Amino acid sequence: MHHEVREEGGTVIVAFEGEIDLEHSPKAREVLLECVGRARPVLVDLSGVEYIDSSGVASLVEALQQAKGGGSSLALASVSPSAMRVLELARLDKVFTIIASVAEGLDGGA
Amino acid sequence: MTREQPTTTGAPPGLAGKAEEFSGPFALLADMTRRFADSLELTPALVTALESIVSQVGAEAGSLWLVEPAAREIVCEASVGPSEIAGLRLSLDQGIVGRCVRENACQSVLDVSKDPAFAKSVDEGSGMVTRSLLCAPMSGADGAIGAIELVNRMEGDGCFTVSDLNVLEVLASSASLALANARMATAAAEHKRVQRELELAAEIQRALLPAVDSPGFPIHALNVPARTVSGDFFDFLELPGGRIAFCLGDVSGKGMNAALLMAKTASLFRCLSKTIDSPGRLLAVINDELADTASRGMFVTMAAGIYEPETGGLVLANAGHEPPLYHPREGGFEPIEALEPPLGIATGLLPPEGYPESRIELNGGNLFVFSDGLTEAFGQDGEQLGAAGLERIFEEFSEASIHDCVEGVMSRVSSLEHRDDLTLLGIEDSRASATRSSDSVELLLVHRFEAIAKELSGMRKALAEALAAAGADESIRTDIVMAVDEACQNVIRHAYSGKPPGDVELTLEQRNAEVTVWLRDFAPPVDPACLDQGRDLADVRPGGLGTRFMKELMDDVSFAEPPEGGGNLLRLVKRLS
Repeated sequence: MHHEVREEGGTVIVAFEGEIDLEHSPKAREVLLECVGRARPVLVDLSGVEYIDSSGVASLVEALQQAKGGGSSLALASVSPSAMRVLELARLDKVFTIIASVAEGLDGGA
Repeated sequence: MTREQPTTTGAPPGLAGKAEEFSGPFALLADMTRRFADSLELTPALVTALESIVSQVGAEAGSLWLVEPAAREIVCEASVGPSEIAGLRLSLDQGIVGRCVRENACQSVLDVSKDPAFAKSVDEGSGMVTRSLLCAPMSGADGAIGAIELVNRMEGDGCFTVSDLNVLEVLASSASLALANARMATAAAEHKRVQRELELAAEIQRALLPAVDSPGFPIHALNVPARTVSGDFFDFLELPGGRIAFCLGDVSGKGMNAALLMAKTASLFRCLSKTIDSPGRLLAVINDELADTASRGMFVTMAAGIYEPETGGLVLANAGHEPPLYHPREGGFEPIEALEPPLGIATGLLPPEGYPESRIELNGGNLFVFSDGLTEAFGQDGEQLGAAGLERIFEEFSEASIHDCVEGVMSRVSSLEHRDDLTLLGIEDSRASATRSSDSVELLLVHRFEAIAKELSGMRKALAEALAAAGADESIRTDIVMAVDEACQNVIRHAYSGKPPGDVELTLEQRNAEVTVWLRDFAPPVDPACLDQGRDLADVRPGGLGTRFMKELMDDVSFAEPPEGGGNLLRLVKRLS
């Protein structure tokens, strides 16, 4: 798993690539919490994520809860079909704000 | 044969007294006993023994006789003296030697002219004049097997002494032992040869039975011979158009005769069933062939049929065989009785269309054809099972595939006391078995790895590839991989929690349109109830999702019986369609 964090127009954009599984979810969690800690809207770019498991989803849930608790927001962008399947399975597709792409999120001022 | 002879070269150290060589009768007996023990061929040793005792005692002649029980005769095996009488035969009722054998007791006759039993014919043949006789029997476990006879003491007053008799008796005992041993060795060698030939015959017989049927085949059969070779047989073979010809027969009698007739009948069936479309006519042709050529008094009971897996219907003809049983899916049993005689007894008894045929629709049920060895096996109560007892055993396996049913019933019956060959052939309605899970299990993958997070990616890749090769479509592959991944996480995070990680062994099997993943770990047993503790999905919190995922993604997730050697075994099942 690789990740890249950048800021654009006051939004923190974190892009993951590869597999967010039990091996890598601790790192993903650390990255996500750091992003959320910046107290700005966070956009999680999942376009390069081939696989995400329950531990990966748990990291996203924890980051979302932290963001909301801090009065900020967290949205998911470019969710691949397999990641979408996991979110649906966990009934989290209604909990997260899911947008088509990072560009759309920036235009809409997420 | 040469051998060290320590008994004549001095006593072993530690024995008191002066070493003395055997002399006189002792030397003779010691020497002869050794010769007997050493001989591979007995006759030369017996001739030497005879020569030695004749010279030791100082007799004019001597002879050694063996009994031929079947002919009630005694035959002279060897003779020493002025005339050769080897090969001479006497009735057991004749002569002093005959009396010796009959009574299994020593005979000492000082003047044969005064003993009416004396066989003058021997002297007439040999030209010798017999005056006195000494005769000792050689005996085995079943009485006398022969005798050694000495004629005319040349020294002293011409009368044999008690000490002569003693020496002769001891020598005769020693010779008896040697003879008995030699006969036993011959019998053992013969037994071994016959056993080897029987085993060869059994191998040929097994080759006559059809090769192992493929998984999911609607017919399965087994034969357990009571002896090395069997008089029972079965066969089945596929005909053009998907139909299957089958038969089961039982040859009267047991052993080699029955086995040979079985081989002939089975060959006839295999050959004729390819061209004769009707089981009734087929049995009639086999009947004529056997009646022409089979040995007197031997016959074959046989049921033969043709099964159509497509329709579940079959045609059956029965020549005097134990009634096959139809077992409908709803339960119960219907015997298909045979009214016609067995094969091989007479020709011309049947109408031109041959043996009558019955048509049976399986309708999801089974048909069992078996030999009477099964119904005649003894139940726990010491009574023969009969059809009713056998039906109870069939019922226990009525939910199993035909393969498991036949194997199960045969294993049960063969564990009971039984005296005859056991043969069972079962037919199932393949249309019913297609919906039932059959036991055609295909092993797709075995993947063993250390229970650490880093290994999961490789596991997912291997599993996805094996599923793709099995033809699972992408969405199903994704679901199975995810569920198994979650199950592995549970092993890593919970089962091995706080302990050095052991291994996980993943086995992927396909059974018809269903795949099963077995996940085995080597951790201390976990509480199977943990599968019920998946978190409520409405409760949005991190963690605890894995178990719910597994249950949502798979058709069945459950712990199986803990494997031998400890650990946990989780079973995850997914239907492919």
